[in-house]
Amino acid sequence: MMMTRSIRCARALSRCIVGGSLFVVVPAVTAVAQANLSTQGFGFSTGQFSSRAQGTGGAIAELDPLSPINPASITLLGSRTLFFQIEPEFRSVKTASGSEQTSTARYPVVFGAIPFGSSWMFTLGSSTLLDRTSSTTFLTPQHLGGADSVAMTTNFHVDGAMNDVRLGAGWTPLTWLRLGLGAHAIVGHNLINVTQSFGADSSRFASFSQSRVLGFDGAAISGGVDLISKSVIASFSARKGGTLKLNAEDTTLTSANVPDRFGASIAYVGIANSTISVRTSHDNWSALGALGGVGLKGVDAWDTSIGAELAGPRFQDRLIYLRGGFRTRTLPFQAAGGDVKENSISGGIGTTLANGRVLGDLAVIHANRTADVGASERAWTISIGISVRP
Amino acid sequence: MNKKVLTLLTAALATIAIAACSENLDGGKSCPLLCPEQAVTLADTTIDAVIGDTTVPGLPPIGSEGFLMLASHGDTLETRAIVRFDTLPQTYTKTSIDSTIVKLDSAILVVPIVKPDSLKRPHAPLTIEVYNVDTTESDTVTAVLATFFRPDRFLGSKTFAPESLLDTLRVPISTDSVLSRVLNGKKLRVGFRVRSSVGIDLRIGTTHVGQAVTLRMVASKDTAAAPVIVSPLSNTPLDATFLSDPLSDYTIVLKGGTTTPSTILAVGGVPSRRVFLRFNVPSRIVDSTTIVRASLLLTQVPNRRLAQHDSVYVYPLAVLASPVVTDVASLLQFVGPSGQFNLDSVSMAPGDSGVRSFEIVGLVRTWKAQPSTVSPRTLALRSGAEGQLPGEFDFFSSKAAVGVRPRLRITYVTKSSSGLP
Repeated sequence: MMMTRSIRCARALSRCIVGGSLFVVVPAVTAVAQANLSTQGFGFSTGQFSSRAQGTGGAIAELDPLSPINPASITLLGSRTLFFQIEPEFRSVKTASGSEQTSTARYPVVFGAIPFGSSWMFTLGSSTLLDRTSSTTFLTPQHLGGADSVAMTTNFHVDGAMNDVRLGAGWTPLTWLRLGLGAHAIVGHNLINVTQSFGADSSRFASFSQSRVLGFDGAAISGGVDLISKSVIASFSARKGGTLKLNAEDTTLTSANVPDRFGASIAYVGIANSTISVRTSHDNWSALGALGGVGLKGVDAWDTSIGAELAGPRFQDRLIYLRGGFRTRTLPFQAAGGDVKENSISGGIGTTLANGRVLGDLAVIHANRTADVGASERAWTISIGISVRP
Repeated sequence: MNKKVLTLLTAALATIAIAACSENLDGGKSCPLLCPEQAVTLADTTIDAVIGDTTVPGLPPIGSEGFLMLASHGDTLETRAIVRFDTLPQTYTKTSIDSTIVKLDSAILVVPIVKPDSLKRPHAPLTIEVYNVDTTESDTVTAVLATFFRPDRFLGSKTFAPESLLDTLRVPISTDSVLSRVLNGKKLRVGFRVRSSVGIDLRIGTTHVGQAVTLRMVASKDTAAAPVIVSPLSNTPLDATFLSDPLSDYTIVLKGGTTTPSTILAVGGVPSRRVFLRFNVPSRIVDSTTIVRASLLLTQVPNRRLAQHDSVYVYPLAVLASPVVTDVASLLQFVGPSGQFNLDSVSMAPGDSGVRSFEIVGLVRTWKAQPSTVSPRTLALRSGAEGQLPGEFDFFSSKAAVGVRPRLRITYVTKSSSGLP
């Protein structure tokens, strides 16, 4: 059974627990403020990284079974696993009009996994592909003809995200080879609420609001390969997008393609319990251009990172993993006609708890986002991931 | 030590997790640079949407005024206020013991008034006269009642200086006449008349607003005897309290009633009148767009007959009766309270002129996607001092010249956000 509906912060925890079934999966949803560089177009791409991978800047994402990137890596889980992730972000946007701080709660990855036999692993999970949750309030003059005009306050609130629900299968046919396949449903919705009011002119003008629910309906497939040697692991993964429709109730408004993606990484694992990795991937976000209005422009973008996960000190026989990384990428949608570049550094730790049944990861990311349009954005993101092996 | 570290770490993670649920999404400072997608387009149009309008005199109906209009302007306007005390008590209380009234030490009518503001205070003394208007004839006919304001029915009077017009006036009346009615179990019905060397308007409280005229009788000089306070009550017409109750106190107009030509819509005045308007707004606007402003534009004609400079609020009101009711006078009595649907009043003086704008967007919005049988496209106008003050507000009707007819100005959203980025 799979529940494919979006959640917000307060509802997230309870719904993830609902059902008690391994495969009760709730699409992960984020919430981001509008009027910033990172949530243009259909929203912000979180990267679909787990907290562990976030700690390395995403460098180990191809190898990380908790990141729904490379289906070949899921065989590394080894046993039944439930995973849930919290990712608040605190952001400051600066333009010529001034700067403002916003914060948002995100729940970008959730999934469950179950093994079949000794060499197969299946997962069902959801991750945020693009988040558009936002709330923007601004004042504009409205001209009514002649010299008549009125000041109008608009509140534009969008709630929801485009989610990637993946059914994945991983197989280890040989000790040096892991293979994986994924079937993806691209679902979710954007609930649009626009309220416009007229402040001091409220006796003459009545405020109005409109609501609309835009739903996404698409599919994709993915595949991955891990080639393993004693000290090096080379990983490759790709996603091929199918048709993606944007619906309002029972009407298809627009259609486009789910963006294709390919990625590769090479990791040095010659040090015990440690990984040093370089990764790059490419998403053709421009495939989403036809899904929006005339001004929407998706950007085919590279996402490259380098990072390491190292075995650190021990506390009560628990090994502490120390992580760090650097990531550079271009965000999926232009802002005011300019590409948005993001550079980030990250660090993190991870350890096991409850006799190894719980794995906890913590990552902190600091990102600088810039575009050549007179705006910049800085963000601190805290990522907490909990995996449980029941 | 390690256990403590882990405990602290767990607590820190829990705190962060809880803090993650606290969002501050509101942004907007970087608009319009980073949020160009939210534009909407407003259109503005003025149409001849009024397809029927009329003035109905005699509203509110007799006895339904909030305050009684006691006015004297010579040949221009003369009104009288009538108050009925159809049941007079025959006992009074002294040290908790009821005693029969056998004589009256005093009988005073206590008259609550609306205190004139300093700019409208009379410039000369005024005299209030009280007459016995009880009759076995038709007891609400003005022509009949008017004849009772004569010396042989005179009950009392008192003259007041302008500065003494505060919130209550006390007018002593004949104790013999009142006692006679008490002893014989008869009604006491009094008529008020005001006299002054200048034009005068007084507003007297009514049972409608809980500030009615009362009769205060003192039956004993003993200070232990409580005065007897009598409130207005009408027992006629018999067995019809919905008709008799309003007649506890009411106004009659002896002189100065006017009529309204078809080219004029009149609000207030003497006798008081209301305006009824019926609209026809194109479906392409009312049903297919979001209306953000609807202004009824009326061109005011100066009326300098009375109180031309006294500003009063004129209220647009929703007509709540369904189209099953076709009588306009009845429709104008089934109106909503002022302020319903956010309908906003407009302050004006009778002598003003020019275009007046009544904001009725809250009402017009109720017409969306509703047939007129459910949400009638109608509106009423009434004066905030109807039946209380003589000021009349005149506007050109739909039968007047084209340029000054009632119009409806509508601002609506032609293009709204699709939600697509």
